[in-house]
Amino acid sequence: MSKSILIVDDSSLARMMMKNIISQSFSEWKIIEANNGDEGMKQADNNHVDMALIDFNMPGMNGIDLSAQLLEKHPEIKIHLVTANIQEKMRQRAEAMGIGFIMKPISKDKLVLAMTAN
Amino acid sequence: MELSDLEQDALKEFFNMGLGMAADSLSQMVKKEILLSLPQLAVVSHRRAVELVNHQDEDRLVAVRQNFLGELSGTALLIFPGGKSLELVRTLLGENMPLEALTELEQETLLDVGNVILNAFLSSFTQMMNLDFEFEAAEFLKANCEALLDLSAHRIAFPNKPDWNEADEQAFFLMMDFKTEDEEQAHNSLQGYVVLLFSKEAMEILKKELERILSQF
Repeated sequence: MSKSILIVDDSSLARMMMKNIISQSFSEWKIIEANNGDEGMKQADNNHVDMALIDFNMPGMNGIDLSAQLLEKHPEIKIHLVTANIQEKMRQRAEAMGIGFIMKPISKDKLVLAMTAN
Repeated sequence: MELSDLEQDALKEFFNMGLGMAADSLSQMVKKEILLSLPQLAVVSHRRAVELVNHQDEDRLVAVRQNFLGELSGTALLIFPGGKSLELVRTLLGENMPLEALTELEQETLLDVGNVILNAFLSSFTQMMNLDFEFEAAEFLKANCEALLDLSAHRIAFPNKPDWNEADEQAFFLMMDFKTEDEEQAHNSLQGYVVLLFSKEAMEILKKELERILSQF
């Protein structure tokens, strides 16, 4: 089965940028999109997902709350918080949850490094 | 001039990144986490911008103004709603500082804070937009919103140009709500918001740049 990645971000531009990099560097990966936390949860429930790239600041459920729910329900999913909120507290929160932290703006280098890291 | 949904989405994301940088800088200054709301963006006429600021706060406002000049020229205003500016000064200088001293130091402190926030915000924004500009020295202002948003007082407006019409000028009205963790719990937030003002010419440059960026996808 090919690998699947879930992108949850309320910004169309951010999703487009991530999709662009993933389709160029990991063309075999299936990309699933959601523009808010609830939709992201539904997509994870209804699809096989290996990895999730989750924005923090979204309308409704924020990225940390979504990550916590995903970890509980789908612990097999590898999660990276992708955020412009680069404050130390946010990094610490992600680290405490055992999820990755990718600082916006997204670049090919940052995303590829995160997706290939163990 | 109107922006498409996708152009507005892109602009919001760029602002979001700018606000993230600004919040990180402020967080280091106050040594607390800064909670940010979602950026709310509206491209409005100058008249509407005045109405929106008035709606937020009808009294005298405290603001830091930063003009920027270059490929994209404009004015950024960091506005602190009435009374909130002293809260920020108190957070920065300590709870035990007497009110008299706080008031004395208000201007200097807010200029420092405004400078850091607006520089972080604008630097990140222009980096994303791939546009160069330079900052003028930040100014501290205390005025009602009519005076604060008076374009003729700002560098971006060209009142001497024969075809200049203030009613045609547009503004990005960006609400940036920042508050510290403690204030969130105490329902006593440190708040501020940013208004960006651009001339019609600058808006056209911005739109072209957005079109260029979005054409890559």
